[in-house]
Amino acid sequence: MGSKLLGQASHLEGVSDTEIVLGTSAAFRGPSRGLGIELYRGSMAYFSHINEQGGLFGRNIVLKLYDDGYQPDPAVTNTTRLMVEDDVFALFGYVGTPTVTRVLPLLKKFQDRKFMLMFPFTGAQPQREFPYGDFAFNLRASYRQETEGLVDNFVGIGRDRIGVFYQADAYGRSGWEGVRNALAKYNLNIVGEATYRRGTKFTSNLRDQVEILKASQPKAIVCIGAYAACAAFLRDAIDRELQVPIANVSFVGSENLLKLIDDSQENSGDYTKFLVNSQVVPSYTDDTLPGVVEYDSFMEQYAPEVPVEFDDEQYATFDRSFVSLEGFLNAKLMTEILRRVGPSPTRADLESAVFSINEFDLGIGESVSFSANRRQGLDRVYYTVVQDGVFVPLRDWKGSFT
Amino acid sequence: MKITKLFQKTVFGIIALFGLIGISTSVLSINAVDSHLFREYESNSKGNARTIANSSVDIILNRDLSTLQSLIDQFVGNEGISYIYITNESGEFLAHTFVPGIPQSIIDSDVTKTDTVQRTIRGMGDFVEVASPILAGVAGAVHIGMDLKSVSMKIQAAIGAQVYLIAIVFFIGIFAAIWFVNFASKPIEMLQSYAVDLAKHEPVDQEKYRKLLERKDEAGDLARLYQYFSTVSDPNKLGEPSGTPSA
Repeated sequence: MGSKLLGQASHLEGVSDTEIVLGTSAAFRGPSRGLGIELYRGSMAYFSHINEQGGLFGRNIVLKLYDDGYQPDPAVTNTTRLMVEDDVFALFGYVGTPTVTRVLPLLKKFQDRKFMLMFPFTGAQPQREFPYGDFAFNLRASYRQETEGLVDNFVGIGRDRIGVFYQADAYGRSGWEGVRNALAKYNLNIVGEATYRRGTKFTSNLRDQVEILKASQPKAIVCIGAYAACAAFLRDAIDRELQVPIANVSFVGSENLLKLIDDSQENSGDYTKFLVNSQVVPSYTDDTLPGVVEYDSFMEQYAPEVPVEFDDEQYATFDRSFVSLEGFLNAKLMTEILRRVGPSPTRADLESAVFSINEFDLGIGESVSFSANRRQGLDRVYYTVVQDGVFVPLRDWKGSFT
Repeated sequence: MKITKLFQKTVFGIIALFGLIGISTSVLSINAVDSHLFREYESNSKGNARTIANSSVDIILNRDLSTLQSLIDQFVGNEGISYIYITNESGEFLAHTFVPGIPQSIIDSDVTKTDTVQRTIRGMGDFVEVASPILAGVAGAVHIGMDLKSVSMKIQAAIGAQVYLIAIVFFIGIFAAIWFVNFASKPIEMLQSYAVDLAKHEPVDQEKYRKLLERKDEAGDLARLYQYFSTVSDPNKLGEPSGTPSA
């Protein structure tokens, strides 16, 4: 009787005898689908491994997926459905700042049911700070850290006139704010700024944005956008001879950006020689890191595919990518947390299980710790440039951009 | 629909009267709707600006500009709102909705002021911009631009709906007036026809005019009077029956 009641109660929180269900709303369709799909694929590489080993306490880890197309309103609708109808154990694998920013109030609304947003694919501040910081845990470094690192390095090599190209929404503003604050340390201002609308495609003309920035005579440009628009901007900037280092933050989806440039330009090297992307996970080619080797092995072994309900056969997956590596690390840490929650998981136990993560080794050379005052696991930012058609670590800023 | 000559002027009079009422109502309505709706749009935009200003205080003080951006993004597109920008007390743009960039005319203007202004922005159009101070201005201001073209299109649509309604009432009124006049003139037509038939001094088909003769109104009275006149040989000697009318 007791176990039956426990089973029924647990089932109400996304847990049954055979499954533990996590809810995801992300871009699986539209111009930013590469981000949602690759993040999912990376997570599934790890979850597939766990499930193949018999699951966690006999339960498979299952992702309940909804597509929001990287748009805030569908994200809110999906999240409500995940919380109210699907009653998932936790929210996991969300993509994007404009979506997550709008979803956060729902977590507060349903705070009595102890829902947590686990490791969203965004470096924005709202889920890291009051009043919503208590409802989310982040693994990746923030946009502030990424943009600060970019600005520090650019200023360090004398490129102190920095312009910003950004998405006209919460994500773009978050990165813009990061650049602004980082420049303020040096008593500098953003010299020019241009925006684009979320959902802009690679085929769009972004010459107006290029001209606006060109007029401000920048020595470097930081882009806060998604891959389609940032690739279009890079193309138009180089075509119009705005030849300064053009940096992107991790959210851009580096491989998707590179593929668009490679597929559309004969001499793609001319376009990528000014490109520098910050990342929040190490290079997936770094086989000195056990976490990366494991990722490599699991991606090959389980070869996760595009979720069947969103597979229109028009999206070509990547064997490896920074985004799927991040998804993989998210899943690995989530699995560890679920293990610590124990065999009778309840949402109320989730937060304390996360706080028990201390100096946990994901195998990437940086340990992860959480506490009541620390709700972000990793802080390191990596910088990459394109060499022979792939992103490799940037070792020498001065040599590359002076 | 044939209208008797007697009532043609009446119908023309009614049309003229309805026309006058319709035109004057339309003019008054257009003026009222135009000024009322414009004031309402302006007032709504000011209300939105105040709402954003009030909601922004904590966000700005917490230095969370992505949430601020998310807030203003939700207002754009509502009720003719074309753009929103928020400046701090020194005029720095903290969040805005412009693509591909902040227009030069706005950068060049004094954005710390909160007066309602009309702007022409190159490549974008004409706008009315309202503003509301944040924390009495010490934390900046929220500015909302309404597209004049979009607002005037909406106002024209509202006016069009009013004029359309007035026109329908006008035409229904005219058709109703013609019908009523025609309805009223029918017994007179019949009476005229009856009088002509009687004047011919030929046998009259009484069945044809039975309904007229049975009427209880003035037309019936006149018909019966004509019938009576037709039965006397000398109408000047009323009351002296002359037997049957001559054939």
